Amino acid sequence: MKRFVLGLAALALAAAPALAATVGQSAPDFSAPDTAGRAVKLSDFRGQFVVLEWTNPECPYVKRHYDSGNMPSLQKELTGKGVVWLAVNSSSPESGEFTPPEAMAKWVAAKGGAPTAVLIDKDGKVGRLYGARTTPHMYVIDPQGRLIYAGAIDDRRFASAEETKAAKNHVRAALGEAMAGKPVSVAATTPYGCSVKY
Amino acid sequence: MPRLALAALLALATALNAAAAPVRTPHVEAELLAERTAIVPGEPLTVALRLAIIPGWHTYWRNPGDSGEPTRIEWRLPPGFEAGAIEWPVPERLPAGPLMNFGYQGEALHLVRIDTPRDLVPGTAVTLAARAWWLVCEVRCIPEDAELAVTLPVASRAQPDPRGAGPIAAARARLPAPAEALAGWKLAAHAVPEGVALDLAPPQGVVVPEARFFPFEEGKIEPAAPQRLEATDRGYRLALARAAQPVGAFDRVAGVLALSPPGDPSPRAFTIDVAVAPAAPGGSFAGLALVAALLAAFAGGLVLNLMPCVLPVLAIKVLGFADAADTRAGRRRGLLYGAGVLVSFWVLAGLLLALRAGGEELGWGFQLQSPAAVALLALLFFALALNLSGVFELANIVPARVAAAGANGPSLDAFLTGVLAVVIASPCTAPFMGAALGFALTVDAATAFAVFTALALGMALPYVLLAWFPAWLARVPKPGPWMLRLKQALAFPLYATAAWLAWVLGRQAGPDAVAWLLVAAVVAGLAAWIAGLPGDRGPVARTAVALLAAAAVAIAALPRDATTAAAAAEANWQPYSRETLAALLASGRPVFVDFTAAWCVTCQVNKRLVLASEETLAAFRARGVHLVRADWTRRDPEIAQALAEIGRSGVPAYVVYKPGRAPLVLPEILTRERVIAALDG
Repeated sequence: MKRFVLGLAALALAAAPALAATVGQSAPDFSAPDTAGRAVKLSDFRGQFVVLEWTNPECPYVKRHYDSGNMPSLQKELTGKGVVWLAVNSSSPESGEFTPPEAMAKWVAAKGGAPTAVLIDKDGKVGRLYGARTTPHMYVIDPQGRLIYAGAIDDRRFASAEETKAAKNHVRAALGEAMAGKPVSVAATTPYGCSVKY
Repeated sequence: MPRLALAALLALATALNAAAAPVRTPHVEAELLAERTAIVPGEPLTVALRLAIIPGWHTYWRNPGDSGEPTRIEWRLPPGFEAGAIEWPVPERLPAGPLMNFGYQGEALHLVRIDTPRDLVPGTAVTLAARAWWLVCEVRCIPEDAELAVTLPVASRAQPDPRGAGPIAAARARLPAPAEALAGWKLAAHAVPEGVALDLAPPQGVVVPEARFFPFEEGKIEPAAPQRLEATDRGYRLALARAAQPVGAFDRVAGVLALSPPGDPSPRAFTIDVAVAPAAPGGSFAGLALVAALLAAFAGGLVLNLMPCVLPVLAIKVLGFADAADTRAGRRRGLLYGAGVLVSFWVLAGLLLALRAGGEELGWGFQLQSPAAVALLALLFFALALNLSGVFELANIVPARVAAAGANGPSLDAFLTGVLAVVIASPCTAPFMGAALGFALTVDAATAFAVFTALALGMALPYVLLAWFPAWLARVPKPGPWMLRLKQALAFPLYATAAWLAWVLGRQAGPDAVAWLLVAAVVAGLAAWIAGLPGDRGPVARTAVALLAAAAVAIAALPRDATTAAAAAEANWQPYSRETLAALLASGRPVFVDFTAAWCVTCQVNKRLVLASEETLAAFRARGVHLVRADWTRRDPEIAQALAEIGRSGVPAYVVYKPGRAPLVLPEILTRERVIAALDG
């Protein structure tokens, strides 16, 4: 009986997922204000694919993906297919890299970005819930609310802006497979970039 | 004339060398240093990319940790030359809020071995050119790069280079030694629930005061997770937490193991590559363990039959049909009874899985890596154990007369008896069911279903067998007081499980979380005791029981946020050593030292209310303050001396060190305002 119970408990511990946001598990729900102060809730988008993009206009990697047009064009392409795109800035006001909501909205507009919403997560709650560590750090959630991809935007950590265009974009690939009803072949990669400025 | 030309060439080469380096960027001074004054044909030469980083900023190791980018070199070498990979000195752990980076502050030397061709002509000059890229970060990150070159004459003999040889030798002292240097050590790694445990068995008499592991690959360990080192009977064990978002399998512990304090100019560090064994003895969770769990569940089901509230009832009803004159009818009823038990368990499992799925929809995923979940499970096992011990009894969920009622027709009766065996037995099967339910919450649906089925088969099997072989009836144990003793004895494995979970909690969330769990256990014990008082309990007692039980659950669950926040805050602190303090002061930023001890209540109050508060931490962050904790829980002569130097003989003591200024000692009763004023003063 002891072995039974201990075995059960050990098995239970081993089988349990590691953190709130784990690929293959349901994506934890959250609510955060957008740049206009309206609350945006993840569960409101149940039934649609959702992309979460951690961003920070001060970060050179983010700049590379925005200045090259890579991120804005991906946002346009995917939102055009009915995907919900939530860009999240988790920089805290104390970090020295906090971008106020209005400036955030202006920056996205100036870069030609087309996310569904830009979320201001200044207390870092959403970032910590998802274990977001870099900008950019990307997550894809399927219509059933399951996390199907977490990691880097593409496979070129060291790329220049021009080379970025030739990279394999993991988000586009994951969504392409998921929309075709196929399992996501590359579901977890190591994100690269600046640290999220919690 | 040739002699003159050679001299001129050498002068030119030296001039070129001096002119080419260093390159200054806004944050880094970069240059290539050669170890020797000349290239000897066919002999390898070590060249270093030296990055002198401005204070407060850092560059990255080959695995940058949670974010960042490793420094890279792209060589442009003359034909026949070959550059090796960068040899990386042992990095530092560099916290960035809740995240962790691996990299370098101050000066970083990246050593590269250059193989040279044999057919070089002495007297000529060779330029080794490279483009280097690095990311340099403080809070913000700047990608930088530089074109670098070093020009050296070719000669048959070479002297140590006056500029390069010293720094390169120092950098070499900071390289991890190859694994062979660990001869006499035994290293082993095995999977544990939270990641991988690395066992270090040093040779006799070798003490390991601390250990840090830097993995070569990303996506294996969680960079920011504290790596706890604990003594075991054979040596030491270093706990490596699995990455929260793993990439690939964590099947090798490959990287650098550093066994001396950060900042050590010649660290004890080794390159290791240890295969991870699937699981520890007793803590396995592979397919084999699933079989074990199913067998255990089956055995648990058998034991259920021996419980004091099951055996007497069943003895009458079930033995009745097993004793039937008609063997075939008896066997049929035996099978139907088994089906009844099985269906009841399936209904329970289905109900549970449906509830769980509903909970997940609502975002209540049950995760055992979360300390709150572990604490609640420990509390559950403790309460179940109290029940088995007889502290309190659970009320039956169906009235006794329903249980005693028989249905029309012997077949239906047998089936319902099976169902009722599960239901009527609930007062004393609940602890076992609770254990199975707790388990089922944490595994996938198929496994949970399989475990419940095994439990049901175990419970039903004896009666089906008895129906088949009525002659065995004579061997069935008679109900008696032994059943009660068995039940009470079975409480102890549950207590042991609760103790084990408390240990797990301690590893996850520290001793404070365990203390809260123990408080919750005391409150739960009080609730159980009141619930178990003899006599009819009035509404007051029932309310008290409900309130106390709720309080126990709340206490066990609540410290979760506090402990995780505290753990995140803890990660910002570096352990005290004289060298650490000197190295941090050399960075030009203030250092706050917390002299503390676990047994010092004032220290803990100050830590909780002031040092761990978001406001204070934000103030520290905003000013770039290095945080150092001198833990005096165990006597440490180095800390005692540091205390003596500031005129104290004990803890608490809080000191702000600023470069070039006398240390500022803060009062023992700390306030946030006082800390912030001291930082700005």
